[in-house]
Amino acid sequence: MSLRPKIDLDRRQLLQFTALFGGAAALAACSGPSVSSDVSGGAATEAATDWASVTPAKEITWWSNHPGASKPVEEELIRRFTAESGITVNLVTAGANYDEVAQKFQAATGTGNGPDVVVASDVWWFRYMINGQTLPMDELAEHLEFDTADYNETLYSDYQFKDAHWAVPYARSTPLFYYNKDVWAAAGLPDRSPETWDEFMEWAPKLAGGSVTPLGLGKGTSWAAWWFCNFLWGRGGAYSDEWTMTLDTPEAIDAAKFVQSMIFDDKVAAVAATDNVADFGAGLTGCTIGSTGSLTGILEAAKFEVGTGFLPAGPEGPACPTGGTGVAISSDRTPEQQLAAGMFLKFLTSTDSTAYFSSNTGYMPVRTSARDSDIMAEVYAKSPQFRTAVDQLETTRVQDWGRVFVPGGDKELTTALESIILQQGDPEQAFATASTAIQRSFEQNVEPYL
Amino acid sequence: MEQVADTTLVPGVRTGRSDRVPASPDATRSLPEPARRKHRTPWKAWLLFLLFAGPNVALLVLFTYKPLLQSLQYSTLQWNIGSPVAMPVGLQNYVDWFTDPTTPGIVGVTLVFTLATVGGGMVIGLVLALVLNRKLRGTGAARTIVVAPYVLSGVAVGLLWLFVFDPNFGVTAALLRLVGLASPDWYNDPQWALVMVIIVYLWKNVGYVALIYLAALQSVPRDLVEAASIDGASSVRSFRSIVLPLLGPTTFFLAITTLLTSLQSFDIIQAMTKGGPLGGTTTMMYQIYQEGFQSGRAGYSSAVATILFVVLLLVTFAQLKYVDRKVHY
Repeated sequence: MSLRPKIDLDRRQLLQFTALFGGAAALAACSGPSVSSDVSGGAATEAATDWASVTPAKEITWWSNHPGASKPVEEELIRRFTAESGITVNLVTAGANYDEVAQKFQAATGTGNGPDVVVASDVWWFRYMINGQTLPMDELAEHLEFDTADYNETLYSDYQFKDAHWAVPYARSTPLFYYNKDVWAAAGLPDRSPETWDEFMEWAPKLAGGSVTPLGLGKGTSWAAWWFCNFLWGRGGAYSDEWTMTLDTPEAIDAAKFVQSMIFDDKVAAVAATDNVADFGAGLTGCTIGSTGSLTGILEAAKFEVGTGFLPAGPEGPACPTGGTGVAISSDRTPEQQLAAGMFLKFLTSTDSTAYFSSNTGYMPVRTSARDSDIMAEVYAKSPQFRTAVDQLETTRVQDWGRVFVPGGDKELTTALESIILQQGDPEQAFATASTAIQRSFEQNVEPYL
Repeated sequence: MEQVADTTLVPGVRTGRSDRVPASPDATRSLPEPARRKHRTPWKAWLLFLLFAGPNVALLVLFTYKPLLQSLQYSTLQWNIGSPVAMPVGLQNYVDWFTDPTTPGIVGVTLVFTLATVGGGMVIGLVLALVLNRKLRGTGAARTIVVAPYVLSGVAVGLLWLFVFDPNFGVTAALLRLVGLASPDWYNDPQWALVMVIIVYLWKNVGYVALIYLAALQSVPRDLVEAASIDGASSVRSFRSIVLPLLGPTTFFLAITTLLTSLQSFDIIQAMTKGGPLGGTTTMMYQIYQEGFQSGRAGYSSAVATILFVVLLLVTFAQLKYVDRKVHY
């Protein structure tokens, strides 16, 4: 006997049933974005809010990934802010990295459950901006008397577009050259990083003893295409000139071939299986390129003395990108919440807070006054490695738009670079594929929104 | 009035066999007009139906059909996720997917992953079930050990196996070194990376297949097997001709459920390879996530989701049709 329940519906009942649930489902589908053939001008504007008449909210929420294992540092800064202002800040771990926070932030937009303050990394802040998810900071900063002139100019102007700033610098970093001083000494090399990649190639045979690989490189999104800027720019290439991809230039191809030859021909470099910084800390590689944000962790983990230096220069000179994250205010909040968020950002990036954060993580001090503060002077005296990133800032430049502003740009470049460094793929072909995809993404995902 | 025959029926009370039951004399006296009877009868049943099924249907509408329909709608849009406004593009997202140079690779990875995990899982699961079905010492503990990974979190399993496969420090590298072999480049070689996630997926999920097969094996009538044995059938012959056909319904149930689970697999890939290297472990399911949340292309991502949905639907229908024709209960 069949146990299947039987419901006998006649035609009318079936129609009623269909109409009931079909209608409910159709109604449910009527939400999400509004649909229009004109999507331009999506960025938020500074509404004429009279900030002076707004009372700050008593409680705000901050979504962070605690860059550089900084959760205790952030909690301490929040404690100080609350003691000073009476405003509570709920610190939410919204992801393990910038990408995960961004994914949640984008999904939460418009739901009313998003944060007041969110970390906005170099590859995400622009997308927040064209989607209208973040507030332009300038008027609020002026009202709250942020000393924006004291921010490091490069780091602050990274967030500038359309004559407005869309975030303030917070945990900002550059890639650094880390080397194992024991390996260096055993090879009879001077205690410094190589000034150029040509010099590194001269040194490499001396470093290649035993099981140690001279140079460890990393892969994966938000990473490979970042350190490759050093090779690319140092040889006169670039990912893009504003929105036009320029990876078909001889300079770009040359940069890729140089890295490829280090790995496959000279065998003086290897791509880490999972984490090049961990491999370096474990003594598997003689040197590596890591973020300044990893400095504290490396110094704590390594059982050898760690040296830091500028990234080696290419034939066209030194080249170093900036990275890391700023902090932005959500446009999807009340003026009261936004004002409280602005007060928090002012505190978070103040001279004292910046010095406290930098000295505990290794991220660059984003304020000149913090860089020159007594706290940082003590840190430099105790651990000179901290000074390297600050000094290297002079050689940095703003990143290419094709990587950081186009959705999927970094992912496409990572795929191309992984083909080049993992499978000895043809750089011209790999770059051409990436360029086509990025150009198409620009036309579909950026251009209509500008 | 004369008693009506037992075959006289009244509405309102249902049995599993019919809407109607033999009527009592009273009931026949109040027999309404046929037209009214039809309208009056079902409301109680409807109320009962709504009472029991309503909440479930409401949840299904809210959390299954609504997202499904929304996804269909989004697949016709050019929408940066997070943006309050989207542009209609018709079927362009579908055209883009079918003409994208990376699509054949992603479909290939999806096929290899699915076939290996479903096929491998069924074979290994059946073998494990046959072993666990024997009355030996320690079988109970062995059953627990085999099934335990199935209840673990996929992310935890992925992270654990990251260490196992580490080419420098992992257990596999150490074991291979013992026999003088170098560890494969699990993380940097796309083919080995795919093999790695397949192994981990099988390790985690094979317990489920074994468990279901074990239950089915225990319901195989022993007298049939014994009769075959008396007639001189070898154990292999008796397995092939008696046990395996009797496992038919279980096999097809598992084929459908494991196929659906495998095609929707996400957690292990996210924890171990994030679709890399070089897209070597990017399945269609993982592409939906990458395009939707990493690249922010919600419309394109929805188009891929719709294509995957249609594929799942067709495969399930095909399997159900096959089950109807081939499986004998």
